[in-house]
Amino acid sequence: MDHTYQYSWIIPFVPLPVPMLIGVGLLLFPTATKNLRRMWAFPSILLLSIVMIFSVYLSIQQINETSIYQSVWSWTINNDFSFEFGYFIDPLTSIMLILITTVGILVLVYSDNYMSHDQGYLRFFAYMSFFNTSMLGLVTSSNFIQIYIFWELVGMCSYLLIGFWFTRPLAASACQKAFVTNRVGDFGLLLGILGLYWITGSFEFRDLFEIFNILIYNNAVNFFFVTLCAFLLFAGAVAKSAQFPLHVWLPDAMEGPTPISALIHAATMVAAGIFLVARLLPLFIVIPYIMNLISLIGIITVFLGATLALAQKDIKRGLAYSTMSQLGYMMLALGMGSYRAALFHLITHAYSKALLFLGSGSIIHSMEAIVGYSPDKSQNMVLMGGLRKHVPITKTAFLLGTLSLCGIPPLACFWSKDEILNDSWLYSPIFAIIAFITAGLTAFYMFRIYLLTFEGHLNLCFQNYSGKKRNYFYSLSLWGKEEPKSIKKDLCLVTLLTMNNNEKTSFFLKKTHRIASNITNTPFITIFPFGATKTFVYPHESDNTMLFVMLVLVLFPLFVGAIGIPFNQEGIDLDILSKLLTPSINLLHQNSNHFFDWYEVLKNATLSVSITYFGLFIAYFLYKPFYSSLQNLNILNLFAKRGPKRIFWDKMINFLYDWSYNRAYIDAFYTRYLTEGIRALAELIYLFDRRVIDGITNGVGITNFFVGEGLKYLGGSRISFYLLLYLISVLVLLISCFFFFNFFSF
Amino acid sequence: MVQVYLVFTTNNFPWLTIIVVFPIAAGSLIFFLPHRGNKVIRGYTIYICVLELLLTTYAFCYHFRLDDPLIQLAEGYKWINFFDFDWRLGIDGLSVGPILLTGFITTLATLAARPVTRNSRLFHFLMLAMYSGQIGSFSSRDLLLFFIMWELELIPVYLLLCMWGGKKRLYSATKFILYTAGGSVFLLIGVLGIGLYGSNEPTLNLETLANQSYPVALEIIFYIGFLIAFAVKSPIIPFHTWLPDTHGEAHYSTCMLLAGILLKMGAYGLVRINMELLPHAHSIFSPWFMIVGTMQIIYAASASPGQRNLKKRIAYSSISHMGFIIIGIGSITDTGLNGAILQIISHGFISAALFFLAGTSYDRIRLAYLDEMGGLAIPIPKIFTLFSILSMSSLALPGMSGFIAELIVFLGIITSQKFLLMTKILITFVMAIGMILTPIYSLSMLRQMFYGYKLLNVPNSDFFDSGPRELFVLISILLPVIGIGIYPDFVLSLAVDKVEAIISNFFL
Repeated sequence: MDHTYQYSWIIPFVPLPVPMLIGVGLLLFPTATKNLRRMWAFPSILLLSIVMIFSVYLSIQQINETSIYQSVWSWTINNDFSFEFGYFIDPLTSIMLILITTVGILVLVYSDNYMSHDQGYLRFFAYMSFFNTSMLGLVTSSNFIQIYIFWELVGMCSYLLIGFWFTRPLAASACQKAFVTNRVGDFGLLLGILGLYWITGSFEFRDLFEIFNILIYNNAVNFFFVTLCAFLLFAGAVAKSAQFPLHVWLPDAMEGPTPISALIHAATMVAAGIFLVARLLPLFIVIPYIMNLISLIGIITVFLGATLALAQKDIKRGLAYSTMSQLGYMMLALGMGSYRAALFHLITHAYSKALLFLGSGSIIHSMEAIVGYSPDKSQNMVLMGGLRKHVPITKTAFLLGTLSLCGIPPLACFWSKDEILNDSWLYSPIFAIIAFITAGLTAFYMFRIYLLTFEGHLNLCFQNYSGKKRNYFYSLSLWGKEEPKSIKKDLCLVTLLTMNNNEKTSFFLKKTHRIASNITNTPFITIFPFGATKTFVYPHESDNTMLFVMLVLVLFPLFVGAIGIPFNQEGIDLDILSKLLTPSINLLHQNSNHFFDWYEVLKNATLSVSITYFGLFIAYFLYKPFYSSLQNLNILNLFAKRGPKRIFWDKMINFLYDWSYNRAYIDAFYTRYLTEGIRALAELIYLFDRRVIDGITNGVGITNFFVGEGLKYLGGSRISFYLLLYLISVLVLLISCFFFFNFFSF
Repeated sequence: MVQVYLVFTTNNFPWLTIIVVFPIAAGSLIFFLPHRGNKVIRGYTIYICVLELLLTTYAFCYHFRLDDPLIQLAEGYKWINFFDFDWRLGIDGLSVGPILLTGFITTLATLAARPVTRNSRLFHFLMLAMYSGQIGSFSSRDLLLFFIMWELELIPVYLLLCMWGGKKRLYSATKFILYTAGGSVFLLIGVLGIGLYGSNEPTLNLETLANQSYPVALEIIFYIGFLIAFAVKSPIIPFHTWLPDTHGEAHYSTCMLLAGILLKMGAYGLVRINMELLPHAHSIFSPWFMIVGTMQIIYAASASPGQRNLKKRIAYSSISHMGFIIIGIGSITDTGLNGAILQIISHGFISAALFFLAGTSYDRIRLAYLDEMGGLAIPIPKIFTLFSILSMSSLALPGMSGFIAELIVFLGIITSQKFLLMTKILITFVMAIGMILTPIYSLSMLRQMFYGYKLLNVPNSDFFDSGPRELFVLISILLPVIGIGIYPDFVLSLAVDKVEAIISNFFL
């Protein structure tokens, strides 16, 4: 089967022609290329499908034979240094390959529809295909230099795609923030690579691990230096995977189009950090400090991400913080040494989160038609609500994704998260407790997003009287500090008027709901229906392509958990994932006798699932639209009656929402101290440059000028003056000579 | 006929003399061209440039062997018998790259200078004169000749600057000429000092001088003299302040030449004279090179975000990138020096392209300050695309030439045996901080120029996107940048043997 492996170097290069052709076409023949725009989606999807088939084949090979294949050829030939290019196929690579290609294809198909009316359709596909190329290159690379190259390329694609809608100032600053933050990580990665090169003299993973282990075993290296290098390498992963100190770019990255949030900022690129740590685990595992650090960073991120996700207004930002939190789980698992659990969660989370993001994209697409194209409005959950009736298919998909991410048993994320939670008990009880609490929080915020978006009634219609309500649940807890901005009233009317002009006849035939019929039956508010002409438009379900993609993606959270569930067949307790990962796990000298006990699973699962349900119910109580049932009202009153307790409770909630709304004050801190600091430094250095260094030059010039002028003034071209000067100088000379000799004679 | 053919094929044919003299000789014919508008002059100049480039390429293709670290295509004619001053030319692996770069960039700069209409006769003559001067200084094998060529290209730059520059052009031009002439004084002192040392007859031949050894104190004095001259040109801090002013005011084709080639002459001189002729002093000075280079990277990279003027910002970025060359030269390793040479070539391409882009966008919007710009991506998408790509290559994105060069310089420091571990760690660390600062200024430049949405109150708001000429210039610079980034052996193979020969002097 070496044939298959021999040709696998081609994997990253398969999708490459598309961006090259589009790029050249757009630069040289813009009109012709733009006329063919929809045609370009086809080759990019086709080429990625080829890669997918190839990688599925590869991983079947891997399951059957569990071999690691590496091939290398040289890139630069020099006496002193040689860079090599190679590819490295092992189970980790094949898992990542399948993940990238499947999500990639679905997202490409999805974005064909999502972006179809965008001017930058071609640009989008070029970037996406280039991203696929570099991501595939990243996971197949066999040495550090190659990893670094693709690592940066992936970052660049992310930069370009975040800044895709470059006319938005927010997107412009978001993409710069993402790149610079990632560069901080790359800084660490590069230094770590160089340090390891200095220690071992090699860039190749396998040689490097071998030499490194021997060196550690013989105690031949400075332990502090090794730890530093490993830490720097880890810094690269921290930035890419949005772990705690460098996570600030991920929520801002949601300024990009939603398909790329699904592909890059949820499923693949942010998983690259996890991939890197997993790849380098043989190296990290011999340094216990680093392993502790990894799990510490992981648990901080888990908790921080979850708390930050609690009160986001923007649907995509909420999901982004949730991604961050879930990535923290993976990091935690890696830090605990449970390689398998981390990868399992990586896979399940990627599919679930991709589904959620595609669902939110579909919602945004529907909302955009009503509220306009500003992300402040179309992604704002304040304005959503009650979409269940209008976008039922999206709702189903989104609900499945939510449940999966919360960890509700039959769905994918349950299995993987449960495994991580189990392992965390063995590692450290404190970490385990935090992880369990976060599982509850996850359920809470995910369900909050779901309820706000789909349950109740379309909030956009209530904008007129939201200010009148004095209910603290609504005005305070839901959106944190900021009151919801009142939408321009004529917004609906404008849409309405245009519609009325054109299709007044068909308007009512389309079963479009009228606002009056829905709202008059709410308990609190009686709504006076507008005039007969003042009908309201409701969001529509997205196009079939998008729905199809979502439905396909629904299958993954349903069934992907199966690869990690052991099936008892013929007495062998091996699931697919374990079988695939056996060599790697053995490589890590882990307790590979991962024996699986259904009773144990049940015991642990009960706890985690009950916490999850608890979170879910709290979310349900808090965010169940209050006007929809009378029963809810009683609960509200119940809460309201507790006088003194309520103040404390209010304060708690206030604090929590402030914390979450201000992004834990970390962004403000960075802006205040780092950005302003660099700006001040730049000003200072420029001032120094101009005043001191340039000042000296100019000073010399001006002095020369004055000296020249002075001389000109002195030498007035009169002989007598020259004679006088001459005589004076001779006199001075003589006198000084006289004193000089006198001085010596004594 | 056969004899003519033989003359062309044997080594005796004075290829280099022709290559050096041809542009200026053909350029002086410009003044005799009939008065038929600028078109004739422009066409003629471009024709000469292309011909020269082809000639150079042909000569190097067929008469230059890469595997030979010695001087090739050498020729020497007695010029002044009195003190042994020869017209002595010759090239080796070190100078092939810069000469080809010169040909390439100058041709493109001439093409870029098409909008220049005022006094275009003189302008184009000066461009061609610079062409000669630059190639002459890269290929001379005689110290005094090197000095003369060095001075020869100063005059055209001065004139180009003070006649076709911006508003503050006289100040900048004066500053430029004073700085460089001040540096040249030290160069002359060094040249004469080395030439007159020791023997009865002055020796100016670089080959003989390379084998000469001096007392340490004297060597250090010579070294400092040359160092000051080259430090002004490179520039090395604190001799850099002429550069932002000059670049800020000069016409962009002049900027391309300045940033693309002239700065590289300083670095070339450091390798050619300071490293080759004065190795002992260089190994004494090399730690200072490392320190100054590192400081320069950080200093210029952090001064750059404070600039409002677009061209000045790019100028500071190119000062920052020159720091890598200095560090590579200071590391005294094969790897480091290879990296420095690669950076010479790569930065030549990248900075020339960036200045060209800045100039073309200035031509359209007539705004020099970044905070006045904004939202340009919609009217000029092609320039936006290329600006993005080249900024990326300037911030050392892998796949482009800048990354390879910087990586090799990094490796050069890591593998350097001269320095202690702690110093190496520190220097690498601080250099790598430059890696974080670079995207800050170059991406914020992009953001301020192109992103966002802004109605510019520009006189001619219906400007066009870049036309075929500009696209041609940019793509022909972009191709080698990507080519070197993907396969760096193109450039590395030119100088590898020569670098080994130079470095072996240090470990005798």
